Amino acid sequence: MNKPIRIALTKGRLEKDTVGLLEKLGFDCTAVREKGRKLILPVPDGNLEVVLAKANDVITYVEHGVCDIGVVGKDTIMEMDGKFYELVDLGFGRCKFALATKKDYDFYSGYGIKTIATKYPNVSRRFFEKKGMDTEIIKIEGSVELAPLLELADGIVDIVETGTTLKENGLEVIEDVAPISARLIANTVSLKMRQAEIENLIKLIEENL
Amino acid sequence: MRNYDLITPEGTKDLLFGECIIRRNIEKTLLKIFKSRGYSEMITPGLEFFDVFNLNSPYFPQENLYKLTDSKGRLLVMRPDSTMPIARVVATRLRDTMLPLKLCYNQTVYRTEPALKGRSDEIVQSGIELIGSELKIADLEVISTAIEALRSFDMEFSIEIGHIGIFKELVGKLDVSDHIKEKIRRNIETKNFPALNDLLDSLGNSPVITALKKLPALFGGEEVFEKAEELMPDEKIKRILDELREIYRDSCEICGNAGSITVDLGLVNKTDYYTGLIIKGYLQGHGEEVISGGRYDRLISEFGYDIPAVGFAMNVNGVAKAIEKYGILPSLPVPDVLVYAPEGCEVEAFRTAQEFRDQGMIVENALYEDLESARAYAIDKKIAKFVVVDSKSYEEEME
Repeated sequence: MNKPIRIALTKGRLEKDTVGLLEKLGFDCTAVREKGRKLILPVPDGNLEVVLAKANDVITYVEHGVCDIGVVGKDTIMEMDGKFYELVDLGFGRCKFALATKKDYDFYSGYGIKTIATKYPNVSRRFFEKKGMDTEIIKIEGSVELAPLLELADGIVDIVETGTTLKENGLEVIEDVAPISARLIANTVSLKMRQAEIENLIKLIEENL
Repeated sequence: MRNYDLITPEGTKDLLFGECIIRRNIEKTLLKIFKSRGYSEMITPGLEFFDVFNLNSPYFPQENLYKLTDSKGRLLVMRPDSTMPIARVVATRLRDTMLPLKLCYNQTVYRTEPALKGRSDEIVQSGIELIGSELKIADLEVISTAIEALRSFDMEFSIEIGHIGIFKELVGKLDVSDHIKEKIRRNIETKNFPALNDLLDSLGNSPVITALKKLPALFGGEEVFEKAEELMPDEKIKRILDELREIYRDSCEICGNAGSITVDLGLVNKTDYYTGLIIKGYLQGHGEEVISGGRYDRLISEFGYDIPAVGFAMNVNGVAKAIEKYGILPSLPVPDVLVYAPEGCEVEAFRTAQEFRDQGMIVENALYEDLESARAYAIDKKIAKFVVVDSKSYEEEME
């Protein structure tokens, strides 16, 4: 048998959704479900090997070709960029990037430069560049919602799923930046050198989405 | 205060011993192959004027260049590529030379890569430029050189070809802004089917749009040509496809069982640079292409000399990485002989050592005062023969 195809999964919700999908395709994912603390797990009947990683690392591993394919959110792809093929929109993990401010705050008024707090500086910079707007972007690591409340920033660019956190903190979405969902990515060489195997897997996935 | 005196800049590294052997072996092998096919080596300066790279077609973003100034304050860059300097030389000093010109090089290029990504800013590229022929046989010559080069590494390899003309013709039929065209190109390059389909759906429905949607999926073996045939809306594109198919078939025959030849009609990188054939080369288990090249018929005209050209560059660092990971690591050469002489006999010792060297052996002179330290060194270095030169010279065979 050939070397297994290595698939990097973003730990957490995307991992669960992907494992669900793989099981729907008929693969035995027992080892992944009962993983304990292991990070590399076999899916024997699919000749697959699952690698569990943080979102950014999924891209890094796929870019370097140490994993052949990966499942990662569009949010991470937009922020990190890189050289890989983005083959399938898996449809799950749906949410959006949005610009939010304190409720009833008139973000676009005045001539002063606006300050944006975000975990996604590249996404934010590109969004405002497209508008031709100079902004000051401050990178925040934790709960970005705090920044406008503490009056460090005029607005935030962040991932919004239900909007509950925003609402509970007196913030509201004033503009959508981009939709987000999970993507299947592939290393540019792996797709070529192992075309038949990867294409078969993709076909199976697309039939079961 | 010195903070950086013990380390090298990010994106650079020291190569030691075995790493050097691998690197030099690759370079030697490639240059030998190129020269045996009639390519002449060129060395261009490591420093060039920024203007050489600040042209319309091949785009070198200035943020990716190492820049400095000369004593007159003019902007220089550390050479980020070898093709541009060679084009400059061809358009100036080699202008009256008979065509085609067959040139090769092996030199370092410098580009700033994003930090902390495990990438090198300093890459050795070994490559060829075939200048002044637009014939199919020139394309084949370059592919066949690439095959010979990849085959020399004794690893599973694959060469992939494409043709930028197909994309250019298709996208040229769309009545949309350059901005949208670039978005389409980018989505085809990254095989981003969801985004490509959304974008093209918003432009309506036509055979051109259907063909563009399928373009990134058109990769693999000969079957690709059949699939593409049905999709292409006009004769001009079909002609390009037929040309590429002929090149594909010939390349397969040239390659034989040594490696595989594949085609990807979705190769649309550097559209302003390439004008026809595109070539990529892959080694099994290495995550990035090791060969990148193609036809760039308009490049040299940027320097005022309008002649066609085709070529490729091999990423020697990439090949070295692949060999270190999957190939056979070379063992360091062990000296054959260690010559020891006590004080007073040094000249005699150097003469003895030279005699052994003249027989083709690797010989070291021991740099110790006493015999025991010299012998210990020979044992540590696994040197087979220990020669003592004094009033009564003798040889000792070591374990």
